[in-house]
Amino acid sequence: MKYQSQKIAYWFFAVCMLLFSLQLVYGFIMGFAHMGLDVLHQWIPFNVARAVHTNLLVMWLLSGFMGAAYYIIPEEADREILSVKWAYVQLIAFVLVGVTAIIGFHFQWWEGRKFLEIPRPLDYLVVVDVLLFIGLIGGTIWKGKRYTTTSLVLFFGLLTAALLYLPGMIPTDHQTHDSYWRWWVVHLWVEGVWELIMGAILSFLLIKLTGVDREVIEKWLYIIVGFTFLSGILGTGHHYYYIGTPKYWLIIGGVFGALEPIAFLGMAIYAIAMAKKGGRNPDNKVAMLWTIGCAVMSFVGAGFLGFAHTLPQVNMYTHGTLVTAMHGHLAFWGAYACLVLGIITYAMPHLTGRKLQDSNSNIFAFWVSNIGMVAMTVAFGVAGIAQVYLERKVGLDFLIVQKEIEVHFLGLVLAAALFTMGILAFVWNFIRFGKPQGKMGA
Amino acid sequence: MLTKSQAKAFFIIGTAAFSAIFVGLTIDTFQRIPSQTKSQNLTEEVIRGKHLFDTKNCMGCHTIMGEGAYYAPELTKVFERRGEAFIKAMLRDPEAMYPGQRKMTNYQFTEQEIDDLTAFLIWIGEMDLNGFPPKPDLVKVASPGAVGDTSASDTVVKNENRPQVFNQMCVACHALNGQGGNVGPALDGIGSRRDIHYLQKWLKDPMSIKANSTMPKLPLSEDEVTELSAYLSSLKGE
Repeated sequence: MKYQSQKIAYWFFAVCMLLFSLQLVYGFIMGFAHMGLDVLHQWIPFNVARAVHTNLLVMWLLSGFMGAAYYIIPEEADREILSVKWAYVQLIAFVLVGVTAIIGFHFQWWEGRKFLEIPRPLDYLVVVDVLLFIGLIGGTIWKGKRYTTTSLVLFFGLLTAALLYLPGMIPTDHQTHDSYWRWWVVHLWVEGVWELIMGAILSFLLIKLTGVDREVIEKWLYIIVGFTFLSGILGTGHHYYYIGTPKYWLIIGGVFGALEPIAFLGMAIYAIAMAKKGGRNPDNKVAMLWTIGCAVMSFVGAGFLGFAHTLPQVNMYTHGTLVTAMHGHLAFWGAYACLVLGIITYAMPHLTGRKLQDSNSNIFAFWVSNIGMVAMTVAFGVAGIAQVYLERKVGLDFLIVQKEIEVHFLGLVLAAALFTMGILAFVWNFIRFGKPQGKMGA
Repeated sequence: MLTKSQAKAFFIIGTAAFSAIFVGLTIDTFQRIPSQTKSQNLTEEVIRGKHLFDTKNCMGCHTIMGEGAYYAPELTKVFERRGEAFIKAMLRDPEAMYPGQRKMTNYQFTEQEIDDLTAFLIWIGEMDLNGFPPKPDLVKVASPGAVGDTSASDTVVKNENRPQVFNQMCVACHALNGQGGNVGPALDGIGSRRDIHYLQKWLKDPMSIKANSTMPKLPLSEDEVTELSAYLSSLKGE
């Protein structure tokens, strides 16, 4: 660790560990409910569990991105963060807003719009908090000794992510308008500007871990994020097939949606090629594993499985079924969860001065969580395909089909148990690292 | 091979160009949405219904226009599939309508709120969604045959004589010819087992015959009871 202010990152990462663990609990509640074991229905009905599960995901990923920025930007800009005090204010405000939202969901204080359930008054606080964060990061880069491509792409990704939160707040009484703007946030985040954040963090990790020349890595970063926007912006159209929007979106969404995997494929080839090119043996093998794992799993989950149902002819039948849950789980895991866990694994030895990164529990965490998540994806996939055929093709009643596929949720819960063991090992290793030390050798 | 500045130019120009196209298409789309979604039918009642739909987070279990969660049925065409009476009865007391099944929270809606939500679901059902949801095409299945159903009749088999209320309400829980729900017993041959007077009495209030019956007292009119009991008693065993 070169700069004292990088320590802020530790606390954002600790928040990640806490929220991620909590997210798994709510996942299990839903998994059991799908098996017919909805004993918590009276206190935590499915729609509460669902809102908590997805919002915790978004929160811990954002917390991870913020932590990553506080860690990366001082090194890239060659100076301390503008104000450590305000960074802690920003962290505490973020956690307070998040926790209030999660508790509020249990009392039906929400907006009921998929992924954007956070109630309006809290939306404004989110905006203020993110503006403070953007100010701190932007100011640090502005006053820094050097402007690197990695830091600029990271900043541009964070800034546009903040701006794209705003369309979700446009008031409307029309279901189609509502849905249209909601995808500006959700799609343009995860298949747009979040990929900039992903590309920048991967670029930082590859520069540090492989020792390949920065110029080479950053040139490819531009090309990959270029492809992201080339396909991803108009790829939003694959959410506009069946919501009361014109038919031309079937063609636009189909073509550009089908091109979206290219950016993810590029990301995977890029990471593997740079890892091969780097002659240096990384002293943090598990961080390298997560980096490559992120690039590969994001291609499989977001790229390949996304492609599997992006074409309108297929999506007509899979839209609104568990096939979406299959794609969603592996996509978020590969592209964003692995990314955050990767930067945490890289940063922790530097932050705490303890070299536990290649411990057995961390290696166990990587393999077991990945195998668990792939198994979960298969369970969702089988359940989803069965649902599509029985409900959409054969025309069986919804509840009959749900009973038919209950057994796949037993498979899902077992796979999720495996996944959870991996994540608990990761959290345990995080705890073993301990807190950042007061005085660090530069 | 590309230089770094060429790569940067590719990123900036590409992003700017595609963003501009996207904004243009968005403007065009917003001009076309009103006619495609029958915005003229977006009444005060429908708007209140949408507000309720959001504040109760119905999307947290159901899908609508294919969007939401996958725990409860698709609601886009629920008016066509189940009809107004069923929807309202369901909203009044969900667990009574599907006894012992996957649970829906009872939100204690007022009659006004139930009307608003129903109006919202009717409006959603009227939209042109480019063919969604798809009609099942692997087997010949019973069409709901309800108001507004203009689907080709080649999927309708052996049910031309079915009363509409049978196709909307009864099949939610009971099967006939292997089609319908499995919450209650199948109705094949019911006419051989029960006479028309029994059926009439049963339909008016199941619990008057069997005190511990889980079948709810359905919101049926006198005419519907007469029509249904006549139809049911015509279903003779083989």
